[in-house]
Amino acid sequence: MEGLNKMCKKASYVVGWVLLLLVALHGIARAQLVIDLIGGGASQIPITLVPFAGEERYAQKISQIVSADLQRSGAFRLGSIGSARPLPAEPSEINYRYWRNEGTETMLIGSVLEKGNGQAEVRFRLMDITKQTQLIGFSYTVPVPHLRTTAHRIADMIYEKLTGDAGVFATKICYVTKTENRFELQVADADGFNPDFILAHREPIISPQWSPDGTRIAYVSFERRKPIVFVHNLLDGTRTVLANYQGSNSAPSWAPDGKSLSVVLTKDGISNLYLIAVDGSGLNRLTSSQAIDTEPNFSPDGQHIIFTSDRAGSPQIYRMRADGKGDAERLTFEGSYNVTPRYSPDGKSFIFIHRNESRFNVAMQEIASRQMQILTAGSFDQSPTFAPNGKMILYASEIKGRGILAAVSSDGRIKQRMTAQAGDIREPAWGPLPNIRRKD
Amino acid sequence: MKRIWFVLPLTVLLVACASQGQKSAEIEQRDLFDQQKDERAATEASRAKEQEELKRRLEEQKRRQQDEQAIVRPLPDTGFSGSQIKGEGSAKLDEPGSALATRSIYYEFNKFDIKEEYVPVIEAHANYLQDRPELKIVVQGNCDDRGSREYNLALGQRRADGVKRAMVLLGVSQDQMDTVSFGAEKPVAFGQDEESWAKNRRADLVYPNQPQ
Repeated sequence: MEGLNKMCKKASYVVGWVLLLLVALHGIARAQLVIDLIGGGASQIPITLVPFAGEERYAQKISQIVSADLQRSGAFRLGSIGSARPLPAEPSEINYRYWRNEGTETMLIGSVLEKGNGQAEVRFRLMDITKQTQLIGFSYTVPVPHLRTTAHRIADMIYEKLTGDAGVFATKICYVTKTENRFELQVADADGFNPDFILAHREPIISPQWSPDGTRIAYVSFERRKPIVFVHNLLDGTRTVLANYQGSNSAPSWAPDGKSLSVVLTKDGISNLYLIAVDGSGLNRLTSSQAIDTEPNFSPDGQHIIFTSDRAGSPQIYRMRADGKGDAERLTFEGSYNVTPRYSPDGKSFIFIHRNESRFNVAMQEIASRQMQILTAGSFDQSPTFAPNGKMILYASEIKGRGILAAVSSDGRIKQRMTAQAGDIREPAWGPLPNIRRKD
Repeated sequence: MKRIWFVLPLTVLLVACASQGQKSAEIEQRDLFDQQKDERAATEASRAKEQEELKRRLEEQKRRQQDEQAIVRPLPDTGFSGSQIKGEGSAKLDEPGSALATRSIYYEFNKFDIKEEYVPVIEAHANYLQDRPELKIVVQGNCDDRGSREYNLALGQRRADGVKRAMVLLGVSQDQMDTVSFGAEKPVAFGQDEESWAKNRRADLVYPNQPQ
């Protein structure tokens, strides 16, 4: 009996520690990013967001989430609702003359209704106050925990309607965090909420890349004490080894059809580009220079690959045919260090890291005109990744030696900073537009 | 850089030939002893005579090799000066201040060529490894963390492969060395200054049973 008691005591002790550990780990996983907006766009679109009727009953308040999204984009100027009461929730309740006098041009109104069974109905309309017409109007019935995602969708629709570009508020990002000796590959909403890790261990993780359909992430992990490329399925959490050859295996880049990837291997000598099917079959060598060729990135139409090579003595950006035929064409000529090229979603330009005297900054170059513009001013900026609408660029930067993420608009005017609560954050990759809204 | 590579192949060829001869002699000697053990009929006298003959031949062979080395080996003027030639038994891996105790080769930013000051280190390790063909090491390439992680990974691989290539040219077997790049992922110094960066731009020679 006494023995049993002892055992129980021991067991509960162990369970207690495990629980504590789980709580601690949970806390780490949930530590979301904090985003600060620095500066704003030149021409901001005025919009007034009216608090949704009934939203106060929920933790996730639709109008506040939409407001934060639009504000963070830097493209909007948010009008005040002043002292007008009651606030409209339906078009019939809008006093157009009053709001026109207040200088309001467009206005978001709506409501959240309890539907039972853990569901809520979100009704919203974007109104043109001048013309007294409805620009957008929808009703969504969703599980209550999805209210935040619904708010991002609403923000996307407003953004698209008023700017003409796709909104990216409902997209995902991934990045790597490093705390002490723990590396985590995390996936979060584009606003830094709902972070969760898909991989965690003591060895470095680099170069995550989203599949074009957003269901998988390819990355390089050092967990076997050498760089190996994995493809991780986000739907079921399984993963496969994409490339584990002798030497380095790295720099995965998805072809736009999602069926193959370009990777960098050193199995035949110096780093060269290869093409490989997503299941790891059909390895095909694309470059065979006697210099470093790395960081491939497919053009959106799949016809070309841009990459980094030091074949001319210093690392520069080159472009070649995706089938590896023909000569590669050098694209960058300014400076002695240009690396990490990434095509813009329209395929007309690319971003990269440019060494600017002692600084490493994000730059953008138009392919046709070769016009280059430096977009950031950090000391050690790295790993730029385009938002799927091409309007923002997320990249890794640092403040006082600590790794952070930052974002800059493609015109360089809007700047954001994303910081984790603890540790370093690096290697960002912006996910694709949600399936339903992709054009093709 | 160019000067070093010009000299290396010459040295290499010699060291490679020398070690080849020595090794086959050793094997020969062992076979002979075994045979003698089996042949119980052989007299003590003839055995001693054979042994003496063998010793004499070995010694002559050794002398010939040394002569050859003395004649053809390039004169020190290129960073080879301080390094010892064959030092079987005398070489100690952890002798403080020795070339063998040096396990890291440092580089300039975005460079992978071995600086002259590290040639004695490479040579000492090459000799050590040649004397111990069963020994395997890992050459780990590293970079400072500026610029591109992927480009740094490729650069680190080039640094590691460059060290391996130099050692192969010096006569070490390919199979005795593995290379791996950690790029900028395993820094030993964490400051954002040249002092820290310089420490991270390196190739490490990692022997078995040593912390990596």
